[in-house]
Amino acid sequence: MLATRALSLIGKRAISTSVCVRGGHGVAKVEDYALPNLSAEQKSLKEKEKGSWVALSNEEKIALYRISFKQSFAEMNQGSGEWKSVVGGVFFFIGFTGLVVLWQRKYECSIEHIFCVYGPVPHTFEGDYKEKELQRMLDMRMGPVQGFSAHWDYENKQWKK
Amino acid sequence: MAHPSQLGFQDAASPVMEELLHFHDHALMIVFLISTLVLYIIVAMVTTKLTNKFILDSQEIEIIWTLLPAIILILIALPSLRILYLMDEINDPHLTIKAMGHRWYWSYEYTDYEDLGFDSYMIPTQDLAPGQFRLLETDHRMVVPVESPIRILISAEDVLHSWAVPSLGVKMDAVPGRLNQTAFIASRPGVFYGQCSEICGANHSFMPIVVEAVPLEHFENWSSLMLEDA
Repeated sequence: MLATRALSLIGKRAISTSVCVRGGHGVAKVEDYALPNLSAEQKSLKEKEKGSWVALSNEEKIALYRISFKQSFAEMNQGSGEWKSVVGGVFFFIGFTGLVVLWQRKYECSIEHIFCVYGPVPHTFEGDYKEKELQRMLDMRMGPVQGFSAHWDYENKQWKK
Repeated sequence: MAHPSQLGFQDAASPVMEELLHFHDHALMIVFLISTLVLYIIVAMVTTKLTNKFILDSQEIEIIWTLLPAIILILIALPSLRILYLMDEINDPHLTIKAMGHRWYWSYEYTDYEDLGFDSYMIPTQDLAPGQFRLLETDHRMVVPVESPIRILISAEDVLHSWAVPSLGVKMDAVPGRLNQTAFIASRPGVFYGQCSEICGANHSFMPIVVEAVPLEHFENWSSLMLEDA
């Protein structure tokens, strides 16, 4: 029944426009939101609701609200505290990564070759070679404007303060 | 060359590079401003308690966020095009050098007056003299006279390479069968390092470029010495 009705609509261009005229597919219709099954007490309360609302006590008003809505505004808006677990988890894994990095550095072996994570570095990384390199960069005036040599005081042979 | 852990550009050694540094400052400032604005808007959107479910359109803000980016783009494009055309100015070079890329070294030819040509190989790490820069030094440097416009013609003998010297603001692909021309002026004497900038095989990282800018007299002495050696 539904299938033939649906198929008969296929040839018609009016499908989408008629939906929009009827309010569109996003419109909430009363038929979509039925009340839950009510107990006898709740049914009698619903009957009482049809009369004057002044006659309802506060507890009855709250009970009527609870029939239609699961949470109050306060309950709906309260935070869950989930963010604390998320942040805690993030810190934990970052800490774990830090431990892995520390372990790698301890066993990286630049000079000895016992338990290597990284291979040996070239001899140009040794202390006195690096000093000569630095001196050569200053002698050749590398970056004299704002870069490297600009921070060296050539008269007093020290870094500028 | 760059110092260890350097993030920004090297100091300019040519007028074009100076212009590029200033343009980069300008463009990066715009980028920071836009990013800060967007970050602020994101934080504001995420932390607000206000809601409005019934907004359909708004002509005013649509006009603003169409016009403003167009204006910002024009503000970026104008200095950029200025530098682009500046690089193409007629510059009447004093010297023409040919740089040919090979696997895996550069060769330089100074053929204006005499027939001077030589290869420039990287100095291997184990052969470095103390203090020399690893992976950057070469046995022969491309020596140029300082403060002279130099035309450099770049090509390759086998595969694609790219001749690049950051502090001079030069990068030009070396294409086999094609002659690419660029020019620069070394504004100050010094040694300027660069590296091959187009993947060309196993030793692509090991064919650096070294340009040495010296006073004209020294350049003439050097070229006489090189001719004798050849």
